[in-house]
This record gives sequence, C-alpha cells and structure tokens, in this order.
Amino acid sequence: MDSELLVRLILLLPLAGALFSGVLPLFLPQLRTSEGLIGTVSTAAVALPFAFAVYLFATFSGDPIITSYFTWMAAGDLSIDFAYRIDELSLIMLLVVTGVGSVIHLYSTGYMHGDSGFWRFFAYLNLFIFAMLNLILANNLPVLFLGWEGVGLCSYLLIGFWYTDLSNSAAANKAFIVNRVGDFAFLLAMFFLFREVGALDFGTLLAEGPGIDTTVLGFIVLLIFIGATGKSAQLPLFVWLPDAMAGPTPVSALIHAATMVTSGLYLLARLSPMVLEVPHIMVIIGIVGAITALMAATIAITQNDIKKVLAYSTVSQLGFMFMAAGVGAFFVAIFHVVTHAFFKGCLFLCSGSVIHSMEHVEHDLEAKGHNMAGFDPQDMRTMGGLKDYMPSTRWTYLISTLAIAGIPLLAGFFSKDEILFKSFELGYSGAFYGYVVWGIAVVTALLTAFYMLRSYMLTFEGEPRWPDADTVHPHESPASMTIPLWILAGLSIVGGYIGLPAVIQGGDLNWIHHFLGEPYGGPVHEMKDLAKVPLALKWGLVGFGSLIAIVGAYIGYRAYRPGQAMAYDTALQNRLGGLYTFWDAKYHIDDFYNEVIVDGLLDTSKKVLQPMDATLIDGVVNGVAALSQSVSNGVSRIQTGLIQNYALMLVLGVVLVLGLIMVGA
Amino acid sequence: MDLSGAFTAMWADLPAIFSMLIVGAAGLVVILMEAFQNRDPRIPWLTAGAFGLAMGWEAFQLGTAPDTAFFEQLRTGGYAAYINLLILGAGLFTTLVSPPYLRRLNRNFGEVYALLLFATVGMIMLGTSNTLISVFVGLETMSVCLYIMAGLLREDEGGIESGFKYFVLGAFSTGFLLYGIALMYGTTGTMHLPEMAGAFPDGVPLLFWAGVGLVIVGFGFKVSAAPFHMWTPDVYQGAPTTLTGYMSTASKASAFAALILILFFALPSAQASLVLAVLALITMAVGNVMALRQANVKRMLAYSSIAHAGYMFVALASGTTAGYSGALFYLLVYTVMNLGAFGVLALLEWDGMAGRKQTLSSLAGMGLERPVLGASMAVFMFSLIGFPPFGGFIGKYYIFAPAVSAGLTWLVIIGLLFSAMSGYYYLRVIYVLYMQTAADVAEADRAPEGGFAQPAWLSTAAVALCAVLLLVLGVAFSGVVDVTEMLFIQADAMAQTP
Amino acid sequence: MALASVTFFALALIAIASAVGVLIARSPIYSALSLVLNLLSVAGLYLTMNASFIGVIQILVYAGAIMVLVLFVIMLLNLDALPSPRSIGWGPILGFVLGIGLLAQLLYVMLTSFGISLEAAEPVTTAMAVENGSANTLGQILFTEYALHLQVAAILLLAATVGAVMLAQRRFA
Repeated sequence: MDSELLVRLILLLPLAGALFSGVLPLFLPQLRTSEGLIGTVSTAAVALPFAFAVYLFATFSGDPIITSYFTWMAAGDLSIDFAYRIDELSLIMLLVVTGVGSVIHLYSTGYMHGDSGFWRFFAYLNLFIFAMLNLILANNLPVLFLGWEGVGLCSYLLIGFWYTDLSNSAAANKAFIVNRVGDFAFLLAMFFLFREVGALDFGTLLAEGPGIDTTVLGFIVLLIFIGATGKSAQLPLFVWLPDAMAGPTPVSALIHAATMVTSGLYLLARLSPMVLEVPHIMVIIGIVGAITALMAATIAITQNDIKKVLAYSTVSQLGFMFMAAGVGAFFVAIFHVVTHAFFKGCLFLCSGSVIHSMEHVEHDLEAKGHNMAGFDPQDMRTMGGLKDYMPSTRWTYLISTLAIAGIPLLAGFFSKDEILFKSFELGYSGAFYGYVVWGIAVVTALLTAFYMLRSYMLTFEGEPRWPDADTVHPHESPASMTIPLWILAGLSIVGGYIGLPAVIQGGDLNWIHHFLGEPYGGPVHEMKDLAKVPLALKWGLVGFGSLIAIVGAYIGYRAYRPGQAMAYDTALQNRLGGLYTFWDAKYHIDDFYNEVIVDGLLDTSKKVLQPMDATLIDGVVNGVAALSQSVSNGVSRIQTGLIQNYALMLVLGVVLVLGLIMVGA
Repeated sequence: MDLSGAFTAMWADLPAIFSMLIVGAAGLVVILMEAFQNRDPRIPWLTAGAFGLAMGWEAFQLGTAPDTAFFEQLRTGGYAAYINLLILGAGLFTTLVSPPYLRRLNRNFGEVYALLLFATVGMIMLGTSNTLISVFVGLETMSVCLYIMAGLLREDEGGIESGFKYFVLGAFSTGFLLYGIALMYGTTGTMHLPEMAGAFPDGVPLLFWAGVGLVIVGFGFKVSAAPFHMWTPDVYQGAPTTLTGYMSTASKASAFAALILILFFALPSAQASLVLAVLALITMAVGNVMALRQANVKRMLAYSSIAHAGYMFVALASGTTAGYSGALFYLLVYTVMNLGAFGVLALLEWDGMAGRKQTLSSLAGMGLERPVLGASMAVFMFSLIGFPPFGGFIGKYYIFAPAVSAGLTWLVIIGLLFSAMSGYYYLRVIYVLYMQTAADVAEADRAPEGGFAQPAWLSTAAVALCAVLLLVLGVAFSGVVDVTEMLFIQADAMAQTP
Repeated sequence: MALASVTFFALALIAIASAVGVLIARSPIYSALSLVLNLLSVAGLYLTMNASFIGVIQILVYAGAIMVLVLFVIMLLNLDALPSPRSIGWGPILGFVLGIGLLAQLLYVMLTSFGISLEAAEPVTTAMAVENGSANTLGQILFTEYALHLQVAAILLLAATVGAVMLAQRRFA
C-alpha cells in the first residue's frame, strides 16, 4: 500500500470523525442521541488509523518516510510545508496514541453512556487524536506546534467538559493559562532556532542544530524544556494536571496520562542530538525531573481522592521520564512513556469504573433517603471492599498497581529499572548528578510502591465504608468498559519485554533500544562513552530495584491491610506532623501562585494599571472618540450642503494629488 | 484597412471574451423574460447559471499565458482570469443572496439581475483592459448600472438620494478621469498601456504625471479612497444591502485591477508612489476613525471598506510586483469577507414598522438565534480585523510586507495601528451578536416578533461558504499567493518582450 | 497657420466665456442658451482640427437634440430666475480658491511641458488629417478596432434605459 496515502488516512480519519460527531449533530439534533452510531464511528476513526499504523510498523524499512502535502506558508526564507515524518520514534508514539486511544474510545462509549454531551465528547476526543497525531508526526516545528496547541485546546475543552460546574471551568482555565507559559517559551525557542539555523524542518534542524554556539543552544534547549514542563506537568508548572482531573475519567486516562502529557518527552527525544550538546542543561532537566517525581510522590501519599492520587502519580512518573532524558537516555524515557501509557491508562480507566459504580451507590443511597450532600464518589475514604463487587476492575487495578510499583517482570519494572540503571551508569561514569538522580529515583520508587498499594488497599480491600453497606451494593461496569481494562492490563504485564535490561545478554535483547537508538540507526541519540558497569553490579542494581519495589509494596499492604482502614493515615499524620501537612498542602505551590503571582498581578493592576488605564489609555481612547466625534460633526456640517460640498472635497483631493505627484517620490 | 482580416481576427478572439458574452447575453435574455412574465422566478437561476458557467470557463484560463485580444484592447490569460473569477464570483454570490432579500423589499425585478449582469460586463472590460479606452468604457458601463442599483429603493429615505448623489459625483469624477486619460494620451500618443512606459526616450514630462494623477483621482473615487470617499457611506446605506455588497467588492476589485495594470504597465518610474502613500494614509485614517462611532452597521461597513481601500493603497504604493500581487491576493480576501458580511446583514435586516432596520443594536442576541449566520459574521469580523487564522491576517501580511521592503515602514506602522483600532468597531459587532440580548437594547431597536425573513437556506449556505473560504484562505493560502505572484512574473515577461 | 491660430483662440475664448455664462446667468433660459453657444464653439474647434465628423455630430446631437430637450424641460417647468444671492457662503469661496489652485497647477504643468514633441512616424499632412476625421475612417475603426467597445457601449445605453424606465415607471410596493 502507498504509505503516503496511509499517512493521509491516519491523519484525516480522526478529523473526519470529529467533524462527523461534532458538526453533523449541530444540524441534526436527532443524531445527538444516537450513541451507537457516534460511538462506533468515533472509535473506528481511531481504530482504523491504529491498523494502518501497525501496517506501517510492520513494513517499515528503517528509512524515514517523509510526506509533504502542501506548502503552508512561504515568506522570504521561511517555507513551511504540511509535512509529516514516519520514523522509528514517531511510529512508536503513533502506535501508542492510536492503540491506547482506540481502547479508551471503546471504554468511553460505556462510560459516557447517557450523558447529554455524548456527541460533543466524542467530537473533542477525535479532535484531540487528530491534534496529537499532528504533534507526533510533524516533520517541522510549526506543524508540531500546531498539534501542540491543538491538544492544549482539546484538553481545555475536555477538562471543562461539564462546564456547568464552575470549578470545572476554573480547572480548564488553569490548565490553559499555565500551559500558555510553557507555550510561550516553546515559541521563543522556535524563533531562536529559526534565527540560528534558518529552517524549521527536522531534517535541517537535527543536522545543523547541534552545531549552534553552545551558549545560544543552551538557551534554546532550556526554553524547549520550559515548554515541555508546561505540557508534561513538571516543576514549576505541574499545578494544572491534578486539577485537570475535573474532566471525564477517560480524558484523564487518554490525555492526562497516556498521550498529551508525554509530548514534552517526545519533543526532547526528537531533538535529542541538540539536547546532548548542552550537558549543563541536561543536569537541570534531570534534577527538575527528580525533584518533581519526589514531590509528587509525597503529595500522592496524602491524597484521598482516587483520581488525585493517580494524577500526582502521573506527575511523578513523568518526573521519572525527565530523569531519563536528563541522564541522556532518551530511548528509556520513551520506553517509560509506552509502559506508563499502558498501566496508567489502565489505572485511570479502573478508577473511572470505580467512580461509576460509586455514583450508582450514591444514587441508591439517595433513593433510600440518605442525605448525600457531603458524599464524594471519588473519595477513597468511603470505598473499601469493592473487590467482591467488581472483580474485573479489581484484578486489572491490582495488576497495573503492581506494574507501576515496579514489581519484577511486570511492565513498569523494566522501564523504571532502566531509568535507575541509566542514571547510576552516568554517575558511575563520573557525572555526579547521575548518583543524585539515582538516589532520588530510588526513594521515589519506594514511595510509589507504597502509595499505589495504599490506593489499591483502600479501594478494593477491607470493609465497605459507605453508609448502609449491607444493602446497597456497587456493580461491575459493562463489558464495553471492562474489556479495555483487560486489554491494558494485559499490556501492563507483557509491555515491558520490549526493553529487556542490560543484564541479559549485555543488553542485546533490548528491542526498543535497538529500534530507537541512534547507534543502531534510529533517530533517538544518547549519551556516549559511558563507563562500563560490571555485570555483578548490574545484577546488584536490578536486585536492589526489585527489593525497593517489593518492600514499598509490602509496607503499603501492611499499613492498609484489611481491618486497618484509614488508621495508618492518622498514624502517619501524627508521626510526620508538619511535613505531612506540608505535603497535604502540595508544598504550597498553588498558594504561592495564587498569593504571589495572581494576587500580585491583581494588586499591580489595581494600583498601577487601573489608574493608568483610566487616565492614559481611556484618555487616549476617549480623545480619539472625541476627535472622531468632532470630525464627524465637521463632516455632517459639510453634509448639510449636500453634493456641492462633497464635490468640493473631491476637488481638494485633486489639488492634493496633483501637488503630490509633481513633488514625486 | 483590410476589413476581412479584421473580422477573422475578431472571430478568433471570441473565446477570450467568453465570460462577457455569456454574461451579456444572459442580461439580454433576462430583460426579455421579464418583459413576458413579471418577476419570472427563473431569472435568478438563469443569472446564477450564467455566472457559474463563466466562472467555470475562467477557472480553466487561470494557468494560461498572458496575451491580448481584440486588437490589443483586452488582456487575457491568468491575470484576467483571476480578476474575472473574483468579479463573477461576487456576482454569483450576490445572485444567491439577493432573491429572498429583494422579495422582502418587493424589489425582486428581473431588471435588477439584468443590471447586475450588465455591470459585470463592464467590470470585466475594466479589470482586463489593456488600453485607456477599455478602461473608460468598462468603467462607465459598470458605473451606470451601479448608479441605478443605488437608487433602487426609491421610497426609502435615502434611497433615491443615494442614487442621485452617486450619479452626480460619479459624473464629476469621471470628468477628472477623462482629463487624465486625455493628458496621458496626449503626451504619449498611444492608448495602449504597455506602450506608454516606453514612450519617453528623453525624460517624462510633468504633463504625463498630471494625467496619471487625474486618473488616480478617478479610480480613487471608484474605490472610495479618501478624500474621494464622501459618497460611500450614503450610497452604501441607501442601496439594497445585497447590492451594496456587490458594489463594495466587485466594482472595487475590477477598479483596483485596472489601476494595478495602469501602474504596472504604463508608468515609467515610481513618481506616483508618494501620492499613493499619502492617499493610503488619509484613507486608512478616515475609514477607521469614522467607523468608530457608527451606530448603523451598513455605514460602519462602508467606512470599513474605505479603510480597506487604504490598506490596498499601501500595497500599491510599494510599487513592486510583490506589492501588486499582494494587493491581488488581498482583493480576493476582501471580496470574500465583505460579501459575506453584507450577506449576513441582508439576511438579518428586518422589515419593521419603520422600514429597514440596520442599527447595530437590532442585531442583539442574533448570534445565538441564528447560529450559522452569527458564527459566519464572527469569522468575517475577525478576518476584517486581520486576525489569524483567517484570510484577513494573511492578506494584510502580503500587502504590508512588500511595503516594508519598499521602504514604507512608517506607513505600515501607521496601518497596523489603524488595524488595531479597527478591532474596536468590528469586535463590537460580535459583542452585540453574542453578549447582548434583545432585552439589553432600547425598545425602538428591538426586532419585532417574526420580523426577520424566513431562513433562506441557499443564502445562508452561500454566507457560510464565504466563512469557510476565509478559513481555508487563512490556512492554505500559499497556493493562491503563488498564483497571484505568478501572474505578475508572467506579466513582467510580457512587458519585457513587446 | 496664423489664421488657424486666430480661429482657435477666438473659439476657445468664446467657449470659456459661454461656460462662465452658464454658471453666472440667473435665468435658466440664458444659462441653457449659453451652453448652446459653448457647445457650438467646441464644435467649431473640432472643425478647425479637421475632425469634421465629430464636429457635425456635436452640433446635431448636443447643440441640436439635447439642448432643445433641456430648453423644453425648462419652459414646461416654467422655472423662475434664481434670486440674487444675498451673501456668499464659505462653500463657493472655498470652491473658487480650490479652482484657482487647480488651474494654477495645471497651468504650471502645461508650461513645463511645452517643450515636448511627439515622434510622429510620418508628418501629418492636411489631407491625411481630413481623411482621419472623416466618417469613413471613423466607421472603419469603430467597427474593427473598437468593435467590442461599441458593443459594450450599447449595453451601457441599454442599461441606462432599462434603469431609467425601472426607476421612473415600475410600480413599487
């Protein structure tokens, strides 16, 4: 098959799906309630591209396929095509986005059943896939940026999907505004790159970009990294992601866990040759990632909202990916992106399933005459014991929990272990920050296992904690929701085998490394000339990593074992005291933004800008208005004389023109 | 003179004026049909068909090499086809939106369509003229039809007055144009534009430049450049809205096209650049400042169209092929957005007790009540401001960029300031459409129940198509820009090989 | 040549004077008659330049048909003479100043351009000039080189007629 046509179809099918379910129902209201039709078309519009992606993957020859559809703009030296690039990196991302995307679409047909905005939801979701595909398939930065903004827009629309609730709109606005900061940095980086290189397509950029003067390149990479921290929720811009959980849960799974938030990593991996030229920036990337991971993990311990736990866990896992990027192991970052998409997608979908059934519980309780005002179907404190009612959800949640905890032989184990190893290897080669990153990563891994087990235990084990638990029972979700859970859970088990660790045959079986890595002809560069870690030490590290995960998981199990319920939380609170409160308050970062930046801005605008606006700007505007008023008064005085005066004006013009033309240019 | 040879040549040149033939013949048929059956309902269809057929023909001529026809009186080839497509497209759009509007005003006469077709014949001749004679004949044919259209609403206040003003002032300005033509002919001894630039082996006499200045005056009147713009608000307001849309786009497109041809072919040096720059400055200032305070949307759009003529003069003042091709591209964008805006207005104007209502307040809340029209209007307004990703943004870029290259940075900065200022009055329309409801406006300005015409799907579709087209032009513009650039590269080659 | 020059300037003076007369005459009849004189003197100018056909048409169409129509209208409407203006507004004064300015500009332009001469391919003899102005030559050019313009001009006239009839005669409402 013609790959150019396939790429076109991959891109256009989701767009067509978005138009179908977004535009048609505007005019045909009866279509809005045809959930079967809309769900099928939208899901097919993502599943078909997945099939094409598999075909492209299977027939991929190793040379990038670049297809250019038309020139978008040409101005002076700048010529930008709508060009797309299929290479190893974009193929991996393509498979993840369309694969996980179609599973989540399927799930959504069950999850959104009965919602009056069903059609709108699927339109946004398909539009998101389209934008995301633009982002990962783009062959130049402007098209990538188009996708980058597109996913931001869709994320905004979907976070605020239930916009009648003001807090949801506020969360959507927050996500949009915080992202804007990062986007601005990204734009600046793009302008700098164009100034330095004179082109923005990846072919030229990657060939000439690394040759830019290191000082300038440092700034460029830093700006790109700042852009990435916005989209991928890192310090200091991660605050939007936990709030973004206001959107429907499939959105959290697709956009805020599996795909969009990883685009910052994708960007860094794509530009890896340039990033590798500026080691001092890489230190920043690695350390920022590490600190973010640790902070988010500690916050996650204190959260009681099941989705908030997962959200902070996502921030933490993204931190892991940035650690990998920071130590120059971009392919490992992508590896973790892939496995994370599986298990975190699964976890979110499970939480959706749980929330769904807890909403039914709430409904039933209300029918029984309980006052449900303070009840939150997402609060783990009112859950417990769900394993008996929701077996599929429970098992898949457990599998992916163990996977993210890094229990050996599951997907998360391989990718996380690789990150630990790569940072250790860098430290071993003499770059001290490698050890720092490694150390923080180990602690974070321990915490991860702990808080994930906590969330599992609180939700599924122990005694039910909602009122009237004897008579009111939750129910397992329909098959359209549990099938996706099992698919993703299965992938969470086997997904890690695409990147077997270095201890096995010296890393020769690490498929993803061979597929993506530059030494093997792939597009993703990596740190070179690293010292060789002895095999025994490698085994030791693997063993240590496994031990950490198992110990963390065990502590979590013990602490929240059946019968204990929430007791350990109180104990922890007492033992840690102020630190716990500090974590619970999310390190006061939100407060910092609100009190210092937002209030500061408000103050400034009240005290400085408002008077200035009132006097200066308004003065000018009113002046112009008054001027135009007097001008129009003058004109209307001319108009009383009717045509003669118009003609007079015309003659005035003639005299003017003749005078000027005699003067000449 | 060998007459038989002449007739063979004319016969062979007939395909070059295919559009004129089709459109002119359709006009004659329309008059006959109207004579046999009053308000024959087939007339709009026939008119639209003629426009469509001619457009189809021209679309195939886009890529052809430049040439002349009818004893070098008319230009053919890509440039001509592009301009003709613009004019015919405006005609087609007007034919599609007019019937419901004119029917509501009880003015759905066949003659209106005949005049539309005849005006188009004149415009085609003007826009593709290769001699000053063609310029004059085309211009007058177009103008006479427009004078009548402007006065169509005879009983309406301002209706006949608008037609009369337009006619008298038009005749006055034609005097200057004719004088200019005479001076240009007198000093060069030729009517053919491409021969003029080379007619001065030893220095260009001032007399020639005076002629050029007077011709610019004549065109300045037609494209409503300040200070020759005074008729515009009155005429636009008094004329039937859909025909106002036609006047403000097609006639400007063809007049600008002819002016570009004159500037490009006939001028030996850039002496006129200062005049054009100053006219651009005054026009942008007058248009934008006066538009600020208009409560009548049609009047506001009239001043807006003056302002846009100013922007186009900026491109002409740069005097480079890039500037001319930018102006051509802008003409396309401008035509689409202005046609659309007037189209929306025509569909939202209501027929209250006191006649047509065109105040801004009468549109309150309409954006939600008529979603397609509202959204389209929003697109037109954003595009008129020059907001990405709509065509208006790209258009402005392509007219301002050549001016910067030509050293007119001061003018471009002023132009950008005025563009920013224009946001105020364009956004106000969107504000009223979406943020206000009928309850927010004075009783007198409210639309009565059922005051609006029944939804006319064809007209609405045509308006929506304009909005979509603007979006397309704003994103995938390079193809069109390439075309306009290519037209001038071809024309360049043509000018060099006499 | 001397005679030609004398005739030219004489006719030109009459044309200007009668044009001024059109403007300043208080009675519409005098105004119209001045216009007739003006048109006649312009026709005379055409004749001195060997444009005999146009000269004759000028007399037939303008001085004859159209002016007779104008006079009839004036008489039928029984227009009174305009009252003498009590004061002159700023409009006419400004117009006068502008007019003078325009005249000065044009005169300046003419004076600077007196030196130019057109390169004629061959010297124009009187016989040729007479031939060029004849109805025969005009007809040939009009139906070959300007055939298209002739047709478009016909459309113009048709449009004007249709429009006039429509605006004046159609029953609206």
